[in-house]
Amino acid sequence: MTKNSEYAIEVNNLTKRYKDLSAVDNISFTVERGEVFALLGPNGAGKTTTVEILNTIRKPTSGKVILLGMDVTEKKYDIIPRIGVLPQGFSSFDRITVKETLQYYSRLFCRKKPDIQGLMKLVNLKDKAGVQYKNLSGGLKQRLGIAVALVNDPEIVFLDEPTTGLDPLARRAMWEVLWGLKKKGKTLFLTTHYMEEAEFLADTVAIVKKGKIFAMGSPGDLIESNADYLVVMLKSVDETVFDIVKKMGFSPGYDSHGDITVRLTHADDVRRILNAVRDGGASFTGLNVRKPNLEAVFLKLTDDTFLENFVGVEEAQ
Amino acid sequence: MNLQIIHTNIIWANIIVSIKSFYREKTVVFFRIAFPVILILVFGTIFMERDNEIFELSIQDLDQTTSSEQLAAAIGLSKRFKITQVSPDADAKQYARDNKLNLIVIIPKNFEMSLIEKMADDNFETPVTLTKIYDPGSFGVTTKIGVLDMVLAKINQEMSGKPPLIASEPVSILKKKYRFIEFFVPGIIAMAVMTASLFGTVNVNAELLQKGVIRKLSTTPITRIDWILSNVLYQFILAVVSTAVMLLVSYAVFSVSLEINVWLVVFVALDVFAFVGLGMILTRVAREAESASAAADALMFPMMFLSGTFFPVEMMPEFLQTFARILPLYYVNEGLRAAMVAVDHAAALKSALIIGAFASVVFVFGIMITNLGGETT
Repeated sequence: MTKNSEYAIEVNNLTKRYKDLSAVDNISFTVERGEVFALLGPNGAGKTTTVEILNTIRKPTSGKVILLGMDVTEKKYDIIPRIGVLPQGFSSFDRITVKETLQYYSRLFCRKKPDIQGLMKLVNLKDKAGVQYKNLSGGLKQRLGIAVALVNDPEIVFLDEPTTGLDPLARRAMWEVLWGLKKKGKTLFLTTHYMEEAEFLADTVAIVKKGKIFAMGSPGDLIESNADYLVVMLKSVDETVFDIVKKMGFSPGYDSHGDITVRLTHADDVRRILNAVRDGGASFTGLNVRKPNLEAVFLKLTDDTFLENFVGVEEAQ
Repeated sequence: MNLQIIHTNIIWANIIVSIKSFYREKTVVFFRIAFPVILILVFGTIFMERDNEIFELSIQDLDQTTSSEQLAAAIGLSKRFKITQVSPDADAKQYARDNKLNLIVIIPKNFEMSLIEKMADDNFETPVTLTKIYDPGSFGVTTKIGVLDMVLAKINQEMSGKPPLIASEPVSILKKKYRFIEFFVPGIIAMAVMTASLFGTVNVNAELLQKGVIRKLSTTPITRIDWILSNVLYQFILAVVSTAVMLLVSYAVFSVSLEINVWLVVFVALDVFAFVGLGMILTRVAREAESASAAADALMFPMMFLSGTFFPVEMMPEFLQTFARILPLYYVNEGLRAAMVAVDHAAALKSALIIGAFASVVFVFGIMITNLGGETT
């Protein structure tokens, strides 16, 4: 029986095994209605397996997944009309046009009066209505995939790596579409390995690696709790700056542009470094102080050696 | 997978998409509709020629007498041969090789003399012998020699001045006189429906599986019964169109005399059911588009050539005839010919039951192993 759950998605101790490999290893989380939840992880982390269990394609080895108050393993055909799915690498019938594709999927969901025009407008494909699928660019195909996922006006939309393989412009265009869905109050569950995407779109981010959730929270909370430091970048042509900073007991390094980067735990240290450089008679041409972004948090949690390499690699040499 | 539910609107949506995809792919239309028609036109023309065939026959008259000329003329009068004379000076074997002739008849020197002597002495124990120079590598020479022997036998009998002691009267098992084209067309219909159903199903499904379209479909309300029935009905519609075109061309060009009855629809439907089901199984078992296609080839070619489509099964060795009888296409061929040529309802029913049983098993098995989600459950 369907219960009126406050959560759109409830996952409890979900595990999926393929022989000896645990693709998903005992993970639990909840997604509230209207929330945008991003599963962030490197390739092979178990993101797609997780989302495919949630959207009823795969069956779990153990654990429970409740969608809109219904168990996915028992109520597949009750759940399907209420969810929309953009699978990884969405593809459709080559010779069928954009409009016909949307009409086809609307018929599969028995929609009596599908708003095909509205869907095409939402994903900005109105001027491509008569273009066959095989003649669309990668970005347009993905946007059609989103529209297809929305034909049944779903309560939850699953998007498995919606922008993978797209160029930066197409990716931005896709974000705008997803942002529009977020504003409409849809519950979005997306998997991605683009940090910027998760940071831009998600209310909650779960970082996964080897089938396990390493950290979960809002992008701001994750950055605050996992990266409580500042990164100072000094653009300098004066090599003595590096030695001055090093003598102060910090561990400076060079980034890919040849600029000096220093990781600081106290804001006061910025002033100390600037004073020391001035007192040492050295000069620099630019200064940038920033908090680390989600990417740094992600890399810290999924690859512990990253930050050591990021700050201080030149010093080691 | 929900086995109980059949959604007619979903099946209809699939058929519309399939038909649109079909007619927008011109090469597919060609192979589906035009190719069987071309086969009928090509083979039909060959068989029409054979039905009324007048053979070219070269005669080398070494005797150059009135009797030898009369013999050559008598062979020509049989209306089965168009006679060409070969110079008596030519080397017959070399002449045959040089001119690509498969048969030259040599009337020996002293033919007339020998004939007169034998008739005067009333000596018929040893005949006057004509020599037949022939090319054993030629496909039609055996038939040609057979016809020549028949004509010579008739000339012999007439020359003896006595009526034949034994005569034969051919009585066909069929109600009307039929030509080979009328046997051939039902075979081509059976084969065309089989290849299109098998290949159409394997190619389309393997491609959709590989591209992930079927995975996407598994997140919609479509069931595997919906999907398989959509495939069957789509293939059936195309089979009906293709069969109608084949029959129209056969009637228009060759004026075939074939019985059109409900059995035609039954056998086309069973042909589609059986081979779409088989295609579903191959797609599921092979997974990759290339290997599924290769598996379809491996099943299809023996059936095409051994099921009696192009030539009667009786022409094959005994063990191949036994093998042919386990091939499903054999029963479609037999059934269609029983229905359209012999109009033998009992024989058609027997074939329909056999191919129907096969189609049911394959179809049910196809439903059981088809999994739109792509995961072994």
